[in-house]
Amino acid sequence: MTNLDAMMPDPGGDNDDFDMVLDPKVQESIGRSLKAHYDDIVNAPVPDKFLVLLAQLEATEQRAAGASSDERE
Amino acid sequence: MSANDDFKDGLIREIPNLRAFAASLSGSMQLADDLVQDTLLKAWGNSDKFEPGTSLRAWLFTILRNTYYSLYRKRGREVQDSEGTYAERMATQGNQESHLDLADFRKALAKLPEEQREVLIMVGATGLSYEEAAEICGVAIGTIKSRVNRARTKLAELLSIGSADDLGPDRTSSAAMQRAGSETVGF
Repeated sequence: MTNLDAMMPDPGGDNDDFDMVLDPKVQESIGRSLKAHYDDIVNAPVPDKFLVLLAQLEATEQRAAGASSDERE
Repeated sequence: MSANDDFKDGLIREIPNLRAFAASLSGSMQLADDLVQDTLLKAWGNSDKFEPGTSLRAWLFTILRNTYYSLYRKRGREVQDSEGTYAERMATQGNQESHLDLADFRKALAKLPEEQREVLIMVGATGLSYEEAAEICGVAIGTIKSRVNRARTKLAELLSIGSADDLGPDRTSSAAMQRAGSETVGF
């Protein structure tokens, strides 16, 4: 194996070209922006409708469980 | 009963991440919330299929992603983000400084091919591993790595930041000013 081979990026997958290497600072900047984009939404208030939905699902299930245990009695 | 409560609490904890991933996929907060609702319903109905001890986030992302590709993909291209959620929140992001402008970044992100965008988000923002991303997408780890690399390269190209010299603060402020005059929602 030559040194050149050793330096080649991980082959395989669906890449038909060699992976380009970005300036680490550029990569870092993209990484920060990705986090900024994502965290902006993660930190946003969660709409109540999701909690309402889960509470409803749980209540329905508990009612069903209650009904079946009533039948057993 | 208590296992059920744990599952429900787990779902509640993951909602913010599900919204962020769904918004990244669909490009719209409105679609994202519909997508999260569908995902929660499916997760609840299939809770017996979740293996405790494995990553709930990865499991939920798999459901969300499958739902998106089977039901939402077409709508995503048609629906504009009428709520303007992104635009509103951008106003509060005053201290980006050397960061790329968030609005410009989102526009660029939206232009990436879906298969590249989803893995870049998974690996770069959600805390999922390459292995988990590979499992969620049903491809090899090498494919994930290659897609992430291509996504980064494409983003750098779209944002004209091929080298660190292009990252000066001047560029950021001028981009922000240009944005103020445009009505495009972009992301």
